[in-house]
Amino acid sequence: MTVILQQGVNGVVLGSLYVLVALGLTLVYGVLVQINFAHADIVTLGAFSAYFLMHGLSGGAGGGYAAGIVVALVVGGVLGWVMNAAVFAPLRGRRSELLPLIATIGVSVTLENAMLALFGPIPYAFDSPFSGDVIRFGGTYITVQSALIIAVSVMTIGLLYAFLRFTFLGKALRAVAQNRDAAALMGIDPDRQVMLTFVIASALAGMAGAMLGPVLVLTPFAGTSVIVKAFAIVIIGGFGNIDGTILAGLLVGLIESYTTQYLGPGMIDIVVFALLLTMLAVRPTGLIAEKREENV
Amino acid sequence: MTQVRFCRFAASAIAALLVFAPLPARAQDKIIKIGALLPMSGPGSYFGAQDRQGIELALDEIKSGVAGYKFDVRYEDSSCAPLPATQAAKRLLDQYKPDVVIGEECSDATLAIMPLMEQAKVPLLNAGSSSIRITEPGNPWTFRIMPNEVMQGVDIATHAFQRLDARAAVLLYENTNAGIGNAKVFNETFTKLGGRILADIGFGRDINDFTAIATRVAAVGKIDVIPTYTLEGQGLKITQALALAGITKGGGGQAIQLGTIWLPFGFEQKAGKAALGYIRIVQFDPTDPRARVRRFIDTFKAKYKQDPTHLHAHAYDQIALIADTVNRGARDAQSIRDTLAATRTFSGVTGSVAFDRTNQNEKTDTIHYMETLPDLSWRALKWN
Repeated sequence: MTVILQQGVNGVVLGSLYVLVALGLTLVYGVLVQINFAHADIVTLGAFSAYFLMHGLSGGAGGGYAAGIVVALVVGGVLGWVMNAAVFAPLRGRRSELLPLIATIGVSVTLENAMLALFGPIPYAFDSPFSGDVIRFGGTYITVQSALIIAVSVMTIGLLYAFLRFTFLGKALRAVAQNRDAAALMGIDPDRQVMLTFVIASALAGMAGAMLGPVLVLTPFAGTSVIVKAFAIVIIGGFGNIDGTILAGLLVGLIESYTTQYLGPGMIDIVVFALLLTMLAVRPTGLIAEKREENV
Repeated sequence: MTQVRFCRFAASAIAALLVFAPLPARAQDKIIKIGALLPMSGPGSYFGAQDRQGIELALDEIKSGVAGYKFDVRYEDSSCAPLPATQAAKRLLDQYKPDVVIGEECSDATLAIMPLMEQAKVPLLNAGSSSIRITEPGNPWTFRIMPNEVMQGVDIATHAFQRLDARAAVLLYENTNAGIGNAKVFNETFTKLGGRILADIGFGRDINDFTAIATRVAAVGKIDVIPTYTLEGQGLKITQALALAGITKGGGGQAIQLGTIWLPFGFEQKAGKAALGYIRIVQFDPTDPRARVRRFIDTFKAKYKQDPTHLHAHAYDQIALIADTVNRGARDAQSIRDTLAATRTFSGVTGSVAFDRTNQNEKTDTIHYMETLPDLSWRALKWN
């Protein structure tokens, strides 16, 4: 029984981790109907930003983690703004769906190799001040870092919901997601909203990197290892649907944990991607049916 | 008139160039071209980065030449995986036409490039891949200086049973040729001696969070040893997860993690106290008193301002062994192959080399054991 409970806790932690990464992906898709392959590299850059800030502040003693998270968020946001202004916005102007998609791959490869040149290939040991602290209850345990990941995921989801539902900017962003031309006629600048989407999604990715850094094997390829699962989650959840993404993230996390326990970790990808294929065949709209007006 | 003189001068100059041009070309012919297929991107890229430092140091030491021959190295990124490795190997063979190739580190990649080397009749000198399939049943063009998975696996399983009194083990390994092969040899040897394998857990390279695996390991009962076969990044996370679950000595448990030649020095500093009690094979003993080893360490520190790891050492030995074959009369791919095959007494910084009929180094003095101490330093275990 303890093992079942423990794997449940592990699954929720893993699911929260995936949700943090997938939120930005689903936000960009919800507004732009565009897949951003560079998202993984923003996650990685966020992790490195937090790592280097922590080491700069405390010489590796583990201080400055909160500041690291904030810096990762800012770095991600700025990078999102630069990417959109320099690459994606000009390409969108050419009225091609394919060009921005290919450009995200180009940006991804460029960022990955730039990080490889800057930070080198050797794995970094990114230990937050909470990596080694454990909370035990009954026979189960959770690291403080993992609890923090869950807390930050919940908080981020709450803030994102509040922003989208109750603020003028959030409503404007949803309007652009539903009908770009109609939103423009209502006096909303769609390009500005698209920029805002990229900034928010990339800031979320940067912050996710700072949260995941102590969990991931931190190398320039760190984000790549989770992004495939994040894409799967976005598809299973219903492309562009935030509720679906959260549900699918937790589901995949739990599936991974219980597969590890009862079938073996070598079976994880088979089970997760079999679920993905089943969803595509049986319910291609995802767990929560895609309705453009309800997305984002 | 001036124009005529200029034309004559230019014609003479061109003629002179044509006459003497072959001279530098002949001088260039006295170069041994070494292709280096190393993982410089992806999760195994720490191998490539460190190998390259070892290679460059060895090249510095023979830059004046050996037996009138100079050495030139071209690096290609083989990414620790079969497809990029074969592409890099083809590029190297087609464009650079090397006399000898060194690499790869990862067994899957090495196995993929071996047929290309055999077809091109270029010797491949390997120092970091452990899969038995690389030298069994034997390939005339592939040589390996590191102990293979059987040599390492039998040795460490026997020591675990006899010296550590281990009777129960859990196997953790990545699902690659090397990971599966290493775990299989340990399993066979350990069970033959009377030990029990409580769980046999393979996983992909995309796993980041090992908490679920640690939970499963914790549930199997009392464990004495956990042989672990992964690259450094995943190795760090596994060690930390096992300690957090209270399984290994680093987390207050009893189990000892065991490893073979996968992890570089410095692993224990990154893993922190979770690595306490970790016993693993390394290919290089920095406390080795031999003059050659002391000189290697001194020159390495002087050049790179850091301590050498076993990856630096085995890359250094690869170049030193090639230089040794040239010193023994090798001049081209065929003669380097023949001279390598005849190697019986080479002494490198990792240990000695004598190739058997399958071109596997049969010497086991390259197997060095180390144990992580509470202050995260390590001590050499004189088990061999």
